[in-house]
Amino acid sequence: MATTVIGAGITIEGDLSTDDDVVVQGTLRGKLTARDGVVVEAGGSVEADIASGPAQIAGAVTGNITSTDRVDLQNGAKVVGNVKATRITIADGAQFKGSVDMDV
Amino acid sequence: MSNVTVIGEGAVVRGRIQGEGDLAIAGRVEGDVEVSGEIVVEVKGLVAANLTGQRVVVRGAVRGDLVGAESIELDAGARVVGDARAPRIRVAPGALIRGFVTTGPREPGATKSRTAAASAARPAPKPAVAPKKVEAPQSAPAAKKAEPPKPVAKIPAKPAAKSAPARGATIAGARPGPPAPVVPALRKGAKAVHKKRA
Repeated sequence: MATTVIGAGITIEGDLSTDDDVVVQGTLRGKLTARDGVVVEAGGSVEADIASGPAQIAGAVTGNITSTDRVDLQNGAKVVGNVKATRITIADGAQFKGSVDMDV
Repeated sequence: MSNVTVIGEGAVVRGRIQGEGDLAIAGRVEGDVEVSGEIVVEVKGLVAANLTGQRVVVRGAVRGDLVGAESIELDAGARVVGDARAPRIRVAPGALIRGFVTTGPREPGATKSRTAAASAARPAPKPAVAPKKVEAPQSAPAAKKAEPPKPVAKIPAKPAAKSAPARGATIAGARPGPPAPVVPALRKGAKAVHKKRA
């Protein structure tokens, strides 16, 4: 299990970079770089630019999301920032403020 | 187990980690760590930070001070360069530690600086604080022997001396006050040799 998990109640202030998955249940401020997937769970909070593979957002994200794959804004997500991805879904109930950039 | 934070293998964190819960580090962490629960530095974990937690368990490498509110455990294979302070400390055979180790109840005025702690403890006439202090001297020589030499950043003194006159001139031009004294980088005895030859 090389997955990195930021548990609920934990705050990381700074940069986090990894080649594997990242699951955010707590708070991350700074910068998040993952070669693989990023999951921001409900209750999780990211105040950072995210560069990743597939991203599933169910928590709060303030910052730009750049994904080499797809970005899923799930029900309960609150995203303020621009999203750049090859595919994107915005579920009913997701809050989103920002622009979408897709390679067409 | 929802409150467990994992820094996975291959992950790098540069910054501060704090909060409630447990923390397992299998990657790299640079920056201070302060959590309410248990900190486990796994075998492949590399930490350049001070670690503060309820329990601190080290199986990997740490450069920084360890503070455990309850205990510190250094398992076999652990490499620690830094001070360790906790009510209970266990150093397993095969663990390396280089630093100041303090066990016993937390002293009210305890500081991280060993010199400050030592000077504070010395003038106290009553041995109320001293007897609880237990050190682990047997592990110190082993640590010194096996610890790889740390790369020490060398200060490039010579280039600075060469470029000093030019830099001093620019500084003098910019500042209103007297210029910084520029001492020519002459070798000791160079003048004497010159005189003798002349």
